[in-house]
Amino acid sequence: MDCTTCDSPAKRVDRPHLFFAHELDTCPACEVKIEARVVFRDGQVVHLLHCTSCGPQERELGIDSKSYIQAFLERGKVPDGLVGDHLFKTTTSTCPQCLALVEAQVVIRTVKVSGPSAEGVEGADERRVFFLKDCTRCGPSEALVSEDAGYYVKAYAFAREGTEPLKFRSEVEHGCPTDCGTCSDHEQHTCLPIVEVTDHCNLECPICIVDNQYSTHMDTATFSKIVDGLIEAEGTCESIAISGGEPTSHPQILELVKIASRPEIGRVVVITNGIRLGKDRAFATKLKELGAYIGLQLDGFSAEVHTKIRGRDLTDEKAAALAAIRELDLPTQMIFVATKGINDHQIGQAVDLFLAMPQILSLNFQPVAYTGHGGGTFDHDPMDRLTIPGIVRRVEQQTAGRLTYTDFFPLPCSHPQCVSLTYLLTLEDGTSVPFARFTDFEKYGTLLRSSATLPALPEVEEALGDLIHDVFARQDEIEHGPEILKALRRSLDQMFPRKPLTAKQSFQVSERQSKSIFLHHYMDRHDFDLERLRKCCHHYPQIDGRIMPACGFNMFHRGAAKGPETPRAAFSRPGGRAPFSLPVIQ
Amino acid sequence: MLCEGRVALVTGGSRGLGRSICKVLAREGARVAFTYATNDDDANATLAFLRDAGARVSAHKVSVLDKAGLTALVKQLDAEHGKVDVLVNNAGFGQVVPLALMEESDWDQMLDTHVKGAFLATQAVLRTMVREKFGRVINVSSLAGVKMMQAPVHYATAKAALIGFTESLAKEVGRYGITVNAIAPGILDEGVSAHLPPARLEEYLRHCSLKRMGTLDEASEFVAFIASNRSTYMNGSTIVIDGAV
Repeated sequence: MDCTTCDSPAKRVDRPHLFFAHELDTCPACEVKIEARVVFRDGQVVHLLHCTSCGPQERELGIDSKSYIQAFLERGKVPDGLVGDHLFKTTTSTCPQCLALVEAQVVIRTVKVSGPSAEGVEGADERRVFFLKDCTRCGPSEALVSEDAGYYVKAYAFAREGTEPLKFRSEVEHGCPTDCGTCSDHEQHTCLPIVEVTDHCNLECPICIVDNQYSTHMDTATFSKIVDGLIEAEGTCESIAISGGEPTSHPQILELVKIASRPEIGRVVVITNGIRLGKDRAFATKLKELGAYIGLQLDGFSAEVHTKIRGRDLTDEKAAALAAIRELDLPTQMIFVATKGINDHQIGQAVDLFLAMPQILSLNFQPVAYTGHGGGTFDHDPMDRLTIPGIVRRVEQQTAGRLTYTDFFPLPCSHPQCVSLTYLLTLEDGTSVPFARFTDFEKYGTLLRSSATLPALPEVEEALGDLIHDVFARQDEIEHGPEILKALRRSLDQMFPRKPLTAKQSFQVSERQSKSIFLHHYMDRHDFDLERLRKCCHHYPQIDGRIMPACGFNMFHRGAAKGPETPRAAFSRPGGRAPFSLPVIQ
Repeated sequence: MLCEGRVALVTGGSRGLGRSICKVLAREGARVAFTYATNDDDANATLAFLRDAGARVSAHKVSVLDKAGLTALVKQLDAEHGKVDVLVNNAGFGQVVPLALMEESDWDQMLDTHVKGAFLATQAVLRTMVREKFGRVINVSSLAGVKMMQAPVHYATAKAALIGFTESLAKEVGRYGITVNAIAPGILDEGVSAHLPPARLEEYLRHCSLKRMGTLDEASEFVAFIASNRSTYMNGSTIVIDGAV
């Protein structure tokens, strides 16, 4: 328990407004067409604008937020009998060829799907969301953004206000994403910092989103400086991810884990392909002793799938990694990058594995992002790709309904289009029940507000208390009602035993009470949406102190390949091409 | 020293507030015997800690629900020291559970340990106190038994019952020179409060004038005072130690 007689660490505060969306407007001073942040402040709708000539501006719309949301959601309804595209809204995306920021029309289009629809009907009509763009240099382009327009529109209703870091790392000068970051116009603090500690790797994955140069292992002093800067900016972090390259190839990886294992950081996650984990039991044991978590990349169960997306057959290596996780009881987050036509038929298998292994606390599905050294050139069709609804449908179809489409909800911690998730309560018999089966996430929105896990925050506890009473009152109506109440009671007993737990023990016990499946759709040059980047909460802390939102970093700042015709950044590439300069909105 | 010559029995003395009470009473000169129910390791650690500090102390593994065991213990202490003139009814535990999920057994265990335990321990020492025409019975209640606050219902009920027990017993045995009082601490930084959900702690601190939790010793000092000859006219009272909530 924190000592309340000492100075408590500073606490982050909520943003002074709720960021809802982007909308085109004009600068009130010079009338240049610019994009505005639509925010709700004191129940009223306000446009916040940053004009590069006139500076920050704002315009009050004279509309209350509830009416605005209602009208906004109404825009998502396609008129009966409409032929062609229905314009839902506009936003800023990127030209897939030159990466210039361009206006995108967000349209709903009815398409005839190949294969079974969400309802299992062959060749049915579905309403999907597309971006329509027209680059003055490269011409028009289209991209699929969501396979379910209904989900896409409704997700906006889950928007919640963000939280500010204790310290912003850059000034607002040119606007987003050039000023990354994070600047004071960014709408969410860092929920998950990802530190790339090496650009060495023991695989050459065809879908890799980075651009490994095999030149550098970050030294411990630099890593310490990054962690210090992170704590200065955030105060506390629920997690920190150590990534790469392949971080286990870093000769001082254990030292880095030790450096990150500070009281201000809840868990240290080593993101790995698992090869060393399976081969080197002494190394795995040391990770266990240090209290590290494993972020295991596992997105296939056959030689063919591994070869296509990871470059070679990894079946045995992945099995060895899982054996180490089981044997050492290593807390694990499983990461499955889903690629249409290659591994999407193994999504159900991934869910089965996740449910069967108590060590796997969360399962993260990521629709593949076509960016970076591998992903940028990976064969794909931007009009026919996996998005969050497509993966959830496959989860339902491939798990025989154990999990269903309606078990998943947008996570409003980030932009609601970025992440969807479900929590699963573990019953006494080891089976799991999605929270959505016994509670209404729209009613208990707090449970979704802050994080992809359930932290022991006051508002989360209050929401859990409400949930317990709700289930108690309706236990006869809810399937497995008494078993759910028993599981909730068990959770309370384990989280609050008679002999008090240390903060760390309490954290570890809490996270084993429920599991979570979340789907995180990282963006690429086809579906990039500046509005989403604005509220990104997965950030890459940099050596120079900046903390960059993930998709902005991946697409604009890392210097990785952006596509076949896109120039690469010069930094870290000896004898590289001309320095990369950020494109500006047309 | 406040308690020189006193022989004190503290129930549930192996950890938390009970351990602190033992420490303060011993520091003030009392011979201290404490009971514990199950955890030998905690009891031995407390015993070693107190003895290292020079205390005259003994540990006894006996449940407060074991009537025969308590009677035998008091008989033993009486034989060794000639009396038991201070009893601190401290044994108890906390449990985070809403009424909706509370089992009948949870309720019984909570009420039994706090209330029935106090009854049995008091009955066991009362004989020697009546005989000596002197005694100090001090019950450890809680702020949760005094005013409305977010606390488990069975816990608040048990702690409120101890206040009724205090007032009624004070009336009944005052004629023998025995005073019966209670302390009602607010949230302390160790002991049963130590694993409070953060929301409850934050709410408490928001309303607490001193804006902090109390310490175990801040509560124990009152116990030593009540047990001493400095406290002679206070009877049937409950002293709230909460930093002003």
